[in-house]
Amino acid sequence: MSQSHGIGGLVFDEKKKARAPEWNVFFALILIVVVFEALGAMLQGQSFLFDSADRFDTIFNEQRLKIIILQVAIIGIIALGSTQVIILGGIDLSPGSVVGVTAMITMSFAQVAEVNGLANPKAVFGPAWMDLPVIVPLLVGLVCGIVAGVINGLLIAYTRIPPFIATLGMMVTARGAAKWWSKGQPISFPTDSYAAIGQGMNPVIIFAVLAILFHLILKYTVYGKHTYAIGSNELASRMSGIQVSRHKVLVYTIASVLAAIAAIVLSSKNLTAQAGMGMMYELDAIAMTVIGGVSLSGGRGSILGTVLGSLIFGVIISGFTFLKLDAYYQEMVKGVIIVGAVVLDQYRQQRAAARM
Amino acid sequence: MKKTLLAAGLTSLLATTAMAENIGVSMALFDDNFLTVLRNGMIEQAGAMDGVEIQVEDAQNDVAKQLDQINNFIASGVDAIIVNPVDTSATEAMTNAAASAGVPLVYVNRQPVNVDTMPDNQAFVASNEIESGTLETFEICKNLRAAGKGAGARAYLMMGELSNQAAVQRTKDVHDILGTDMCNFIEIIDEQTANWSRDQAQDLMTNWLSSGETFDALIANNDEMAIGAIQAMKAAGIDMASVQVGGVDATQDALAAMAGGDLDVTVFQNAAGQGAGALDAALKLAKGEDVDQKVYIPFELVTPANLANYTAKN
Repeated sequence: MSQSHGIGGLVFDEKKKARAPEWNVFFALILIVVVFEALGAMLQGQSFLFDSADRFDTIFNEQRLKIIILQVAIIGIIALGSTQVIILGGIDLSPGSVVGVTAMITMSFAQVAEVNGLANPKAVFGPAWMDLPVIVPLLVGLVCGIVAGVINGLLIAYTRIPPFIATLGMMVTARGAAKWWSKGQPISFPTDSYAAIGQGMNPVIIFAVLAILFHLILKYTVYGKHTYAIGSNELASRMSGIQVSRHKVLVYTIASVLAAIAAIVLSSKNLTAQAGMGMMYELDAIAMTVIGGVSLSGGRGSILGTVLGSLIFGVIISGFTFLKLDAYYQEMVKGVIIVGAVVLDQYRQQRAAARM
Repeated sequence: MKKTLLAAGLTSLLATTAMAENIGVSMALFDDNFLTVLRNGMIEQAGAMDGVEIQVEDAQNDVAKQLDQINNFIASGVDAIIVNPVDTSATEAMTNAAASAGVPLVYVNRQPVNVDTMPDNQAFVASNEIESGTLETFEICKNLRAAGKGAGARAYLMMGELSNQAAVQRTKDVHDILGTDMCNFIEIIDEQTANWSRDQAQDLMTNWLSSGETFDALIANNDEMAIGAIQAMKAAGIDMASVQVGGVDATQDALAAMAGGDLDVTVFQNAAGQGAGALDAALKLAKGEDVDQKVYIPFELVTPANLANYTAKN
């Protein structure tokens, strides 16, 4: 019997299923690009994605294609975690703050001793802790992510408080820790090897590799099947022998580790760590996930959808700047698009349920 | 004899307690680099004085929380309050709360909307925001002229958070300078916000670069955005000698960028000086002394020529 993942505990036949929801997201992406192309031709006399001014050897405006992905790659890494948490039927509000505290702590172990021949003016530790090999800050960063994630997971799985509350607590606590770490001072001037991590298109490569990895994991491993199963029907999953609590800890830990990776890439790309870093990233990540067709009620969605959702975000940001749209309108339009996506998601769900 | 000694000891103890000044401080937010320097300037100044106790709280950018903190300070009987307002248009209630309790109040860094109607035991300590954007833009204008671009130059303008007075004022300063006869050869190609953030500035600059427009200058409302723009320009292989880049704040990162030849202009706002000035005013008001109601700590222009004087200041 061929079965796809279920909706609200119901399992339905693959043959009855209409086209994959990712297609809807893809069409939305194309539609938005077309709108920007049309407006660009009308208002700017320029093409949005094509090399209309003949500045490159290719037919596309390479620079714009790159920035569209680059500017969403870091939040995209977080969104890969949010996707798994939301498919599990949970929510994670903490990754933005985890980014903040991880960036601060990690950058402290990645500093150079000398800047322009003078002692590093932003030094956190003494000279013995400077110019360390890059593996040290990387491990420190991953440990930060694991600690935050395990705490989130244990709270949710074993104290049974709602994920919203548990991760809200982590969001506030981790932000506090980020401010406390250096008493609010920014931490700058990393070693060359640390700085290399986030330079150029590296954030995009890291995002792409992680996206493919987790796409495969969710689709083809027991881990993935359990994640969908618990999100569809937790009770049934428990009855059928899935270790629900343990699995939850694992998923929340993976989400926080992804946030920690985002923190490393972000602080390296910017050559600085600041206590306010990553503020509100969790909401952008959740928005990308939802736009990508992941259902907030759990059990449904995919990494591919989230990647497409992040691309929609990137296209919108670049499109606004391309049109020289007044800064005040940009956030308003972004908000409308997020709500529109959820409305669409509800509509899709109802139609899918009606088909059964 | 023992009794006398004990009495003398007690009296001196009481005397010091009575002499200690308790100052309550409510900062708009802790995780802002500039405000952190200001806050630390205040704490250091208090630590260096005898008998000054200061208690600093974080209003976390929440107007209501800040008013609660002020009322809590009043309830615990502080001698004076220093407020770094979250929202400069929400200060009337704070002024009233402190005035009705007879507690002196000093606003620091951000100019309250009621600055001209405050009672005598309230004051405002800051730098005159009009100076920063003006100094920055005028220096860039002079540099562009010196580079032989006086016949016509094009610039991008990067703004801070639009709900923030400093961003609005600095942006207006830029336009005012570019409206003068000496500097009206500079044309603004586009102005957008990067919310004071280095990361957003990197992305915004790259988006601008993708349009392929030629430009001669980038004027940013603060250093973090200027640095982000520089990182994006360098990644795109732009020769930093051919572009004038200006910021405001003279942060350590900005001074390093200037030493590296990337940043051309920044403006030093004496954060620690403002913090110390606010504490000074608060202590004087607590003792019943007269204080100027508006105390201005001047902005200072920083260029590669005088860079060395500032490396130890922020």
